[in-house]
Amino acid sequence: MTAPPLGDTEDAAAGTGTQDALHAPAGRSWRALLQPLLIVVAGLGWMLYVENEHLDSIEKRVLAPRYVAQKTWEHIELALASTAIVLVIAIPLGIALSRPRVRRATPLVLGVANIGQSAPAIGVVVLLAVIWGIGFWTAIVALVAYGMLPALRNTMVGLQQVDPTLTDAGRGIGMSAPAVLGRVELPLAAPVILAGIRTTLVLMVGTASIASFISGGGLGDLVTTGVTTQRTPVLLTGCVLIALLALLIDWLGGVATRLLAPKGL
Amino acid sequence: MNFWEYLRSRQELLVFETWQHASMVFQCVVAALLLGVAVGVLVYRSPRLSGFATGTAGAVFTIPSLALLGLLITPLGLGVAPSVVALTLYSLLPIVRNTIVGLNGVDRTLVDAARGIGMGRGRILLRVELPLAWPVILTGARVATQLAMGIGAIAAYVSGPGLGEQIFSGLGRLGGANSVNMTLAGTLGVIVLALLFDGCFLVIGRLTTPRGIRA
Repeated sequence: MTAPPLGDTEDAAAGTGTQDALHAPAGRSWRALLQPLLIVVAGLGWMLYVENEHLDSIEKRVLAPRYVAQKTWEHIELALASTAIVLVIAIPLGIALSRPRVRRATPLVLGVANIGQSAPAIGVVVLLAVIWGIGFWTAIVALVAYGMLPALRNTMVGLQQVDPTLTDAGRGIGMSAPAVLGRVELPLAAPVILAGIRTTLVLMVGTASIASFISGGGLGDLVTTGVTTQRTPVLLTGCVLIALLALLIDWLGGVATRLLAPKGL
Repeated sequence: MNFWEYLRSRQELLVFETWQHASMVFQCVVAALLLGVAVGVLVYRSPRLSGFATGTAGAVFTIPSLALLGLLITPLGLGVAPSVVALTLYSLLPIVRNTIVGLNGVDRTLVDAARGIGMGRGRILLRVELPLAWPVILTGARVATQLAMGIGAIAAYVSGPGLGEQIFSGLGRLGGANSVNMTLAGTLGVIVLALLFDGCFLVIGRLTTPRGIRA
């Protein structure tokens, strides 16, 4: 149902980096747009199909295009807001924690991050709701709490894998510590950090679907309504739209990663 | 009732649910390991097929767990079946990807040497390539296990077995007595299980890595 064009385009992209450069960008541009187009067409097609099915009154109300659009927008809001907050906290914190003075603490922080990461998403979300009450903002806090560790980890790992001889060289030619950070370390760590942003986005889209359990809104509402009222079309619409949204956001993340990556790497 | 009292009063149920959770994750990862290595072995020599296999697994991986579980309710109903299928599907991606990467990372000169001493394709695969790729494959299984632990908790929503039940009971009793205890017990239980399994992987890795490439 959600078959993105994994054949030729992915092969070329996944195979070797040089193949990308060999293909003229103009020739690739329409093919790069094929995947999001297919996703959008699949979503619209599904909605058209469902709306033309014979629906009872409950299904009609929940599947009204306006309601579905509102839920989709809530989902996007949840995912984007939590991703933004995660990044604003995790990236500076990751940079601060990998400065030479505190670098010895890095394995400790990574260890704690690894343990924290094994907390189940649903556990984190429900625990916060049980303690703080339900609603949109609790959902945001839960999503941020859940997404923080992977993003922090990524930033730190990205900075850690920068070749120390290059930072030494930067120092050697008289760069100050902030200059080394800004002009050597961050550009070299950028691919890993950017890949982490994409992962965070996709993770947040997925976790946002759980937010409906604590009245956070989003497309998960369609899933829970579908299950509790035993209305298969509602359940399926929720699932299909969440899946398509995740694939679309993943594609957007991929494009952003490519656009923002520093030249020469 | 404080948390310790809660744990003691529900001891039997909690032990049972923890066992169910562990056994579900274990079985799904083993199934995914068998399937994933088989797929990896079939496709690793063709870049096109490898790309297709990792691409498809990646697309499944991108689909949020709640959506996949929901989609599986229609054909499979509620209960164990959709949970097991979803967990196995999610576990496949890291295993397939790492099998392909691991097999392609085997030094070609070693394969040539094996052929030179008269080994056939099958024996080269079993005695040279797979053992050398094994640490990478095992890492994939380890990632898959961590993932399956967390997704297994969501499976309780489709009436799957395991510790997720505690979490959803806590949610259902929001504000009531024991809701915090239940949620906490479920969440901490999953974390403890995940750490235990991770420890097991370290031991398995030590024991099963061929002596020649042990660090």
